[in-house]
Amino acid sequence: MSRIAAAVVLAGLLLIPPALDSYQVYLLSLTLVWSLLALSMGLLVGFVGEINFGQAGFVGIAAYVSSLLRIDFGISFWLAAPVALAAVVLVAALIGVITLRLRGPFFVLVTLAFGEIVRIVLANWQDVTNGPIGLRGIAPPEGLFGIDFAGKLAFYYLALVVTVATSVALAVIVRSRTGRLLVALREDELLAAFVGVAVMRQKVIGLCISAVVAGLGGVLIGPLLSVISPGQFTIFASVDMLVMVIVGGVGTLSGPLIGAVFLVYVPEVVQFAHEYRPVLMGALLILATMFLPGGLVGLMRAMVARGGVRPSVGAGGVRGG
Amino acid sequence: MIAQQLANGVVLGSIYALSALGFTLIFGAARVVNFAYGALLMLGGFATLLLTQSAGLGFFVALPLAMLIMAGAGVLVFYLVVRPVLGRGDLAVLLVTTGLLYILREGAIIVFGTEPRQIDMGVEGIVEIGDVVITNQRLVVIGCLVVLVGLLYVVLYRLRIGKALRAVAQNRAGAEAIGLNINRVTAFAFAVSGGLACAAGGLLGAIYAAEPDMGDLPLLKSFVIVIFGGLGSVPGAIVGGLAIGLIETLSGAYISFAFKDGFTFVVLIAVLLFRPTGLFSSRMT
Repeated sequence: MSRIAAAVVLAGLLLIPPALDSYQVYLLSLTLVWSLLALSMGLLVGFVGEINFGQAGFVGIAAYVSSLLRIDFGISFWLAAPVALAAVVLVAALIGVITLRLRGPFFVLVTLAFGEIVRIVLANWQDVTNGPIGLRGIAPPEGLFGIDFAGKLAFYYLALVVTVATSVALAVIVRSRTGRLLVALREDELLAAFVGVAVMRQKVIGLCISAVVAGLGGVLIGPLLSVISPGQFTIFASVDMLVMVIVGGVGTLSGPLIGAVFLVYVPEVVQFAHEYRPVLMGALLILATMFLPGGLVGLMRAMVARGGVRPSVGAGGVRGG
Repeated sequence: MIAQQLANGVVLGSIYALSALGFTLIFGAARVVNFAYGALLMLGGFATLLLTQSAGLGFFVALPLAMLIMAGAGVLVFYLVVRPVLGRGDLAVLLVTTGLLYILREGAIIVFGTEPRQIDMGVEGIVEIGDVVITNQRLVVIGCLVVLVGLLYVVLYRLRIGKALRAVAQNRAGAEAIGLNINRVTAFAFAVSGGLACAAGGLLGAIYAAEPDMGDLPLLKSFVIVIFGGLGSVPGAIVGGLAIGLIETLSGAYISFAFKDGFTFVVLIAVLLFRPTGLFSSRMT
């Protein structure tokens, strides 16, 4: 059932965009980048059992390192991106070793501090990062194997390939030994340690995988928006990712994807004033946590299990997705 | 010069200590982190501002009144937002209070606008002690810390509900077993916390300005302070608040002003590495 649905969605994502105008293609690319970020947060919340308010810090490091390598040193996107990802993994491993001994609120607080430190450095290290103004005129990725990525549509397909490949890789990882160990840790760390799981190592691995996925989103942001600035990588961005995960469904991989679609398109469709967005995010976070613990995915599963769509329950939530 | 910086640090640290006290009380009583705490502080600042400006009350009448209002707001936060998810783990509480932070903070931007507005304390003049110059306004801040800490100790050690609060903080199951109403005690902790947040907000608004994002940094600093001093510890919050105020002022003056907030977080990470339970790890003693 879900495989058929995934195949239909994928076919649509492959075939429809050439017929859309460039703004719609841009929105789709934006959704894909947010999907990567939501996936990275979803992996942490759902499988490591922690919230990282510094997740946007990983995204920011990847975006800045890859863009600076291209602008200052003229290195190709295809070389700069892996270097940026390596940098993010290094930072994540370091942060993980320091913080993952702490649980719950302690971990959250330190990640919050980490995110703030990244933002402060990005905003104040004028000589390198150009301060609060940020970097401008980031070019699309250079051509590779005769494929030109300069157009919006080509970039969209690049983002699509990255997102699909990441989703597949995460699906494999989640079902692998690493994924099962992570779930065991999340459920009962003491018991897991007792039966011989290397607790710290597994958690650091989980954080690093999450950071790589966030970094993939980060290296795509520069070419997508052509501008990056410290203001994009604040705790607000991390909370946006979190809302996507919670609204979509914790503990699944389809949840963050659906959440990303929901949160990019609902504001587009509703067309309310931009300033109301954070208030709406807050309300969504509270309502979803209280009344929709399984997220939209849980809601859909419940409806399928019940054998019929009940508009009174689902219509408001599913329409946007 | 150094004495002047120390004095500035103590003033800043007093506000931090007040803010951290309210934050740590909730952690002690309910074992939850209230992410909306900074927003309550901000609302306290605006409540004080409105009472002085629109209602024309003097600062020293308006502030206690605002603290009572915000104590009520704290109780509302507990019953409407926190309690419904309390049995579902840390994550759920973090999520709902983060949601509340967004609603209050961004709601305040829509209602009040982003322009900073100063609260008129009605206190003028300066005091000179040697080379050190302190405005009377800033002495009021230190005075408020002393008075409120005194009151807090009376509440925690003399009043029945305060003793119940300490009992719940020390042993939740035990407190429940002897018949304490945990919900009511926790609601009381949220009330005291709301009052203290309001005091910090009102004083910040008088010394700097009331604005919708004024609670952001105190929230982050409160985190750092309660980790520094030990989560749930009252003396830890006071000493930690003063220490962080001093560290920030001194590092801002002598190392780098732009990175002064960064130093606080470096201190945080250092404390977590070397003394993860904080400097005063015993809770609510």
